[in-house]
Amino acid sequence: MSETPVLWIVTLAAIALTVWRSRRYIVALAQAPGANRFDQPWRRLEGVAIAIGLHRKLLRKPLSGILHALIFVSFFVLFTVTIEAFGSRLFPGFSLAPIGGDSWIALLQDLFAVLMLAGLGLAVYQRYVLKPARFKGSSGADAAIIYVLILLIVSSLLIEAGARIVGGADGSWRPVASLVADLLRVLDLPAHPAERIAYWIHIGAILAFLVYIPGSKHRHMFLAAPNIYFRNLEPAGTAPAVPSERENPGVASLVQFDWKQQLDLLSCTECGRCQAVCPAYASGLPLSPKMLITDMRDALANEASGPLVGGVIAEETLWACTTCRACMEACPVEIEHLPKIIDMRRHLVDEGHVSPMLQDALSNLTRLGNSMGKPSKMRARWTKELGFPVKDARSEPVDVLWFVGDYASYDPRVQDVTRKVAELLTAAGVDFGILFDAERNSGNDVRRAGEEGLFETLAQSNIDAIRACSFNRIVTTDPHSLNALKNDYRHFGGEFEVLHYTALLAELVAAGRLDIGPADGATVTYHDPCYLGRYNGGFDAPRDLIRAAGYTLHDMPRCRENSFCCGAGGGRIWQGDDGVKERPSENRIREALGLGVGIFVVACPKDKVMYTAATDALGVASSLRILDVAELINLREASSA
Amino acid sequence: MKILVVLRMIPDSAGELELTSDGRGIDREWLDFQLNDFDDHALEEAILLKEASGATVVAVAIGEGSNRVLQMAVARGADEAIALDAQADGMIDSRAIAGSIVALARSKAADLVLCGVQSTEDLFGQLVPYAGALLGWPHVSGSSRLGIEGSALRVTQERGGGIAATYEIALPAVIGVQTASKAPRYVSGSKLREASKTTIGKARFEPAGFERSAEIVALRLPGQRGTGEHLGDNPENVAERLAGILAAKGFAGV
Repeated sequence: MSETPVLWIVTLAAIALTVWRSRRYIVALAQAPGANRFDQPWRRLEGVAIAIGLHRKLLRKPLSGILHALIFVSFFVLFTVTIEAFGSRLFPGFSLAPIGGDSWIALLQDLFAVLMLAGLGLAVYQRYVLKPARFKGSSGADAAIIYVLILLIVSSLLIEAGARIVGGADGSWRPVASLVADLLRVLDLPAHPAERIAYWIHIGAILAFLVYIPGSKHRHMFLAAPNIYFRNLEPAGTAPAVPSERENPGVASLVQFDWKQQLDLLSCTECGRCQAVCPAYASGLPLSPKMLITDMRDALANEASGPLVGGVIAEETLWACTTCRACMEACPVEIEHLPKIIDMRRHLVDEGHVSPMLQDALSNLTRLGNSMGKPSKMRARWTKELGFPVKDARSEPVDVLWFVGDYASYDPRVQDVTRKVAELLTAAGVDFGILFDAERNSGNDVRRAGEEGLFETLAQSNIDAIRACSFNRIVTTDPHSLNALKNDYRHFGGEFEVLHYTALLAELVAAGRLDIGPADGATVTYHDPCYLGRYNGGFDAPRDLIRAAGYTLHDMPRCRENSFCCGAGGGRIWQGDDGVKERPSENRIREALGLGVGIFVVACPKDKVMYTAATDALGVASSLRILDVAELINLREASSA
Repeated sequence: MKILVVLRMIPDSAGELELTSDGRGIDREWLDFQLNDFDDHALEEAILLKEASGATVVAVAIGEGSNRVLQMAVARGADEAIALDAQADGMIDSRAIAGSIVALARSKAADLVLCGVQSTEDLFGQLVPYAGALLGWPHVSGSSRLGIEGSALRVTQERGGGIAATYEIALPAVIGVQTASKAPRYVSGSKLREASKTTIGKARFEPAGFERSAEIVALRLPGQRGTGEHLGDNPENVAERLAGILAAKGFAGV
């Protein structure tokens, strides 16, 4: 029997089998609710080019990035071998020779076969010798199978080319295959049968790989690019709105997720970069962002997997998340973990499934507008101990409307910082005022805890109060308030110019409006708050202030985009520590202790609370002081007074 | 079965209490009001009974912020919400409101009246016996579990020291709830927003027919008793001052 019909039959059968193995996913995506991800094609393409073409996120881990780049580029070069292998037999007479198939293409194929093997070697070294912890929970079989298949594909193509050279073909463009040919001569293998056997091994391995892909993480070869293309282009700080067509606020089953959320599940490469940066995972809580995705993915393929929320994904898993966004920042294929978690939390909240502590906090927020259960009238009490009155923005126009936030207003551990900020603003001659008891919790973490209805109530109340004032800009103390006012309130028509107090202070310093008596250059470290840094890009203003205050900054290994969450976000601050082996805040303090600095600078009221508690718990409060950026700034006038 | 639940709004104890100028009441103008915690449990018990055996729940609220709490009651499962127009601005006097509760129980043809066993303005739990007496119905206070058995009501009553008694009483009845069988449920903001559209009925104040039994002569804020004195952070100063105090009190001959 001629090879052509055999190859046709095998190839078509393999393609049919591949489609059949993908059927559930194809059906799921086709039936999923819509998502608007088709706008701004050039910006989307640019992102794909950077993510894949430049391997931007992949190269953050150099070894993984390089080995992936080797395999990735070699794959494209060696794909010409595949085209030739199939083309020449499916369509007799087809050949790449006219465009250089026997010359420069052959040379590239030879060289990249070696590079592919080098990449493969590095991959094997990484996975079986270095064994990074982020692979824990990933499929070991998937990895092993692809190593074997790549080895088969590359070695068979070299043997095939070598055998052809033994049989008399020109080997001058194929230095590596010529070496293989020498080896074959030594082994005295008959050239033609060896070539044919190698050919069919090559074909078999490629088709086996094709059939294998739909059930494996190697789907990412096809899905990574579209998943990155259809990524979310909204600001990072905007939580997903509840689609109007949805009956309840939350998501209780996989089919309710839109097609992009489902495509995310299929695109996961199980690389575990999300798991490696997750504060909940590090603290021993039952959440790995990777397993969250792969568990949901497996449920997508298995109809009998039971309920999604509380079944496939445990309630404790959902509540463990601090919404720090480190996972999404790390993901090379732009998987969106947080929208899924928030949507499933929305379902739990709607069903009334909340822990007693969270219930208390949410009830207080419903009743009083703050999580502490304190009367609204006491919100501005911190101003009493200032030596000057603070303007009521509700009754007189101000330049800057200061949205103070719950912790900065009520928590005695933070009130001193709040007063210091007020003093700095006054010293710089800023015309500012506050909302007094009309301010409510911004709802940032309420929304991320899944309480969409309460968030709407809080947001509407704040938007009404803010709109009733006359002002130019809003400044917030809390990065969480910053995020809600800047990014979330847009969903309710509240578009304001909002900045963090560190940005305002940096602006005042740059304009020479603060007369700072610089410190002696002591070395400090700085913790990037998630909602200031990763969410809103506020990395530099706090650092500028630290330097302006006369200190030397020594960043921690995990800084800026890679900052490690204190553990308070997304409603975690209203929940217990059950199941926590090491609090994220203590993990972070240990990191800072390794630097040998005496001051740990923060720029978020919750950080002041969390890290003060952490240094107390670790018994290091005397050697590592937790100071807000504002507390570092020493005014000359004040110091001489 | 029809259940009438009484929801009383009381001053938020986290706020700062100030007395009125005549010293005979609390200045309510700047206070936040919240649902009496025991009444919250009474509401939960009513909803649990409705879910277990089928019932219609009528919630009646008294005091500032009634509408908000009634919306919450509807979001949790109450079928009807009524704001009782009690005497403005005063404390909620059980002896005074009992008449209105009784009138509502009659007009709504209630089989069961549930209210919290006590409130900060009814520390001795008088609303339940007043209402029971006026209606001529049996009443039990301090329940920790309610259930319907045939046509009777089973009431478990906390007796302290780990002892509980279970009564079986015929309906209609009045029960003072200490704790619901399950902790009050959380009701989400989206359900609250949905419930904010429900119409809230009004009920007029009905006199109970009692003579006024007593007048408040004076109220007093808790007195400052034996406050501590902070000696500061500086060890030398602290030692010096401590020695001085001890000497002054005659503990040490310096």
